[in-house]
Amino acid sequence: MRKALPWILPPLVVVILAALPWFASPTIIQFGISTLILATLSQSWNIIGGYTGYASFGNSVFYGLGIYGTAVAMVQFGLPFWVGMLVGGLLSVVFAVLLGLPVLRLRGHYFAIATLALAQVMSAIVSNVQVAGGNQGLVLPLFRGDKMFYELALGLLVLATLTVFWLSRSRFGFGLISIREDEDAAAVMGVNTTYYKVIAFALSGVFTALAGGIHAYWITFVEPESAFDITLNVKMIIMAVFGGPGSVFGPIVGAFVLQSVSEILATKISSLAGLFFGLVIVVAVVFMPKGLIDLRKRIGRLGWRYFTRNVKENRL
Amino acid sequence: MGAILEVKGLTKRFSGLVAVNNVSFRVGEGEILGLIGPNGAGKTTIVSLISGTLRPTSGVLRFAGREIQTLPAFRRAQLSIGRTFQVMKPFPGLSVVDNVAVGALFGSGGGHSDLSGAREAARHWLDFVGLAHRADQHADSLGGPDRKRLELAKALAMKPKLLLLDEVMAGLNLVEIDEVIEVVKKVRAEGISILVIEHVMKAIQRLSDRLMVLHHGEKIAEGHPDEVLNDIHVIEAYLGRRRV
Amino acid sequence: MDLIWQIFLNGIFLGGLYALMALGLALVWGVLNIVNLAHGAFIMLGAYACYYLYTGGHIDPFLALPLAMLIIFALGYLIQRFVLNLIVRSAMFTTLLITFGIDVVLTYMAQIIFTADFKTINPPYAGSNFQLFGATVPYVQMFTFVVALAVTVGLSVFLRRARLGRAIRATAQNLTAARLYGVNPRTLYAITFALGAALAGGAGGLYGMVSQINPYIGAPLTAKSFAIAIIGGLDNPLGVIVGGLFLGLVESFTALYIGPTYTSVASFGILVLVLIIRPTGILGRTA
Repeated sequence: MRKALPWILPPLVVVILAALPWFASPTIIQFGISTLILATLSQSWNIIGGYTGYASFGNSVFYGLGIYGTAVAMVQFGLPFWVGMLVGGLLSVVFAVLLGLPVLRLRGHYFAIATLALAQVMSAIVSNVQVAGGNQGLVLPLFRGDKMFYELALGLLVLATLTVFWLSRSRFGFGLISIREDEDAAAVMGVNTTYYKVIAFALSGVFTALAGGIHAYWITFVEPESAFDITLNVKMIIMAVFGGPGSVFGPIVGAFVLQSVSEILATKISSLAGLFFGLVIVVAVVFMPKGLIDLRKRIGRLGWRYFTRNVKENRL
Repeated sequence: MGAILEVKGLTKRFSGLVAVNNVSFRVGEGEILGLIGPNGAGKTTIVSLISGTLRPTSGVLRFAGREIQTLPAFRRAQLSIGRTFQVMKPFPGLSVVDNVAVGALFGSGGGHSDLSGAREAARHWLDFVGLAHRADQHADSLGGPDRKRLELAKALAMKPKLLLLDEVMAGLNLVEIDEVIEVVKKVRAEGISILVIEHVMKAIQRLSDRLMVLHHGEKIAEGHPDEVLNDIHVIEAYLGRRRV
Repeated sequence: MDLIWQIFLNGIFLGGLYALMALGLALVWGVLNIVNLAHGAFIMLGAYACYYLYTGGHIDPFLALPLAMLIIFALGYLIQRFVLNLIVRSAMFTTLLITFGIDVVLTYMAQIIFTADFKTINPPYAGSNFQLFGATVPYVQMFTFVVALAVTVGLSVFLRRARLGRAIRATAQNLTAARLYGVNPRTLYAITFALGAALAGGAGGLYGMVSQINPYIGAPLTAKSFAIAIIGGLDNPLGVIVGGLFLGLVESFTALYIGPTYTSVASFGILVLVLIIRPTGILGRTA
């Protein structure tokens, strides 16, 4: 039974989540949509950040491309929603390959900063493009169907998670992990590091862009600042790191826990919610830098010493 | 005896500094070539140039009859050149067996395509280097000597035809050195050609078929280990007892 | 011709301020290997410190500047000593995350304490200016430029000549080097970070005299500081001056000839290019 649990539990959770909109209140469904989208974003970041070890701050570009791909296709060209999503996904792959090739040669902080800068550039470019509505943004046709958005977001999260699950036990995933652990060593062992990194970046990008497309149609309004928002990128990272980067379920757990916490905070102490969110990040990074998954695995054996050990390992 | 590796006029400059200067040599099929020289002589640079971690400024590298100097590191690995690092580079977050499995998954000719096959091969090589009992531990929990073994197993799992060993005996005690020598001899018995860099003179004398001496990036001697080591004493006197 | 001269001067003055903004970030990054996403928050807090010392304490803003820097220095010291020192050896993005968390906390506290209203440091001489070969130069801009340059050069001299400065530079090469100078590494880390924060605070005070301030000015200024630090290189304060002036000029001329909405395309586009072509900066040493 214990052995079978990991194979039964995830599908069961998916079924329960899929059935939820038929019982829950509209508020819960809305909370569900935004949380599922964030979990997808976090899971997507996990591919390039958690598995490959490249701390991308450029995933908000993929998100923005997904949002604008969908919005422009629907508003300016009158194309159906799914075509818009396709356009967004395609744009993100093109971006991942064209800019990934030079940028993925940078390591560590330099990669992080370069992707951060790319997000700024893209945001500024889009706000100057007429077809994208410039600074004013675009208004999408209204579609009242939160149930559909919910199921779409859930489906995408499942797809992204299956991809990560495959990564965790495939040759391709091992290639990515070896790059994360030591890129030079990976290369002399035969891993085509450039190719692997670009594919990982593109995979990460496609799921992010599709999530962006869903979000755009759901909120029916897009503008450059929020589409390419860096803080959203940071949120993806925090959720993944809080849950456990480089694990299959960590980013999802991280997203659900942090979203719930910030939702509760927002209703109880709305003015202090942001402040509290910042404090949670600081405390979490200090005491559990390896995330919730690692915490669950080891706290049983170590108890409170788990936290002190983390601090001891990482302090000066 | 055919040559598995032919090096002609190999030169590497780092912004003005010449690390390797016009070095030519060959490694015969099934041969163990020892490479010695003082610190900063360019030994590790040569290994990095052959493995593709560094690109040569000029010179020709011919591996199994094919020019490889422009190929990226991973292509050379797939052509079956394996190397170890002097500063050991285990994948710290992976278990010992998975570290080696990476070599089996990629490595020569693209390696295994399935994880379980690669892990099986990895266990075989861990057994080969005497590290089977630690297969399931985390790589960063290994001590110095075991890390050397792991480094060796990772390279072997790639099924190399040419193995570049960068100081796999540094920091080991005499018993451990003997053990590693036995492993290296076993590796050669598998038909693998080896280029070995070492500071431990006794070991390299026992191990090598031929010996090559590098000084300031230039080859200053080559030949039978006993003769070369004799020559070295002459050179040492000439250079003022520099430790070679 | 006059227009180009005026734009050129504007760019240079802006660039001097930019250099000072980025200086602390480059110092902390180069020496401690911490990429401080809360850097802009220190700039913002420095601006508020100056504002309240002037409006509340009636101290001339330029004289208030050292005081403001001292306050931010203390804040930076505490943050490094009791928070960041706890995580300096952990994975790369944990430092990014924790400084982001600190940025969030500082920004929200500022919003609660100072409110979100725009404020300006407005000394009586704010409006006056003089002519320089046909271009108009506001006194405040020129003072700002001079102070920024003086502090930058001062830091450069401090790092080269002073014992503590040398200890800091040695730490950039090797963590334990600090001990050779008889300084506890924990203290040295805290001092270095505090110095970076104080420089940001000083830049903030000057920024508040030429622009409006609110609690949210930090994040974009952090991004800009990155651009400057990377363009100039991390190992040399004088490189940061060049990076700052370069970015100031690029922004001024882009605003004139292409359009003000394209300034960030230009500045961040250049940043990406520099990173790809030469990650150690235009003046930095090669890897």
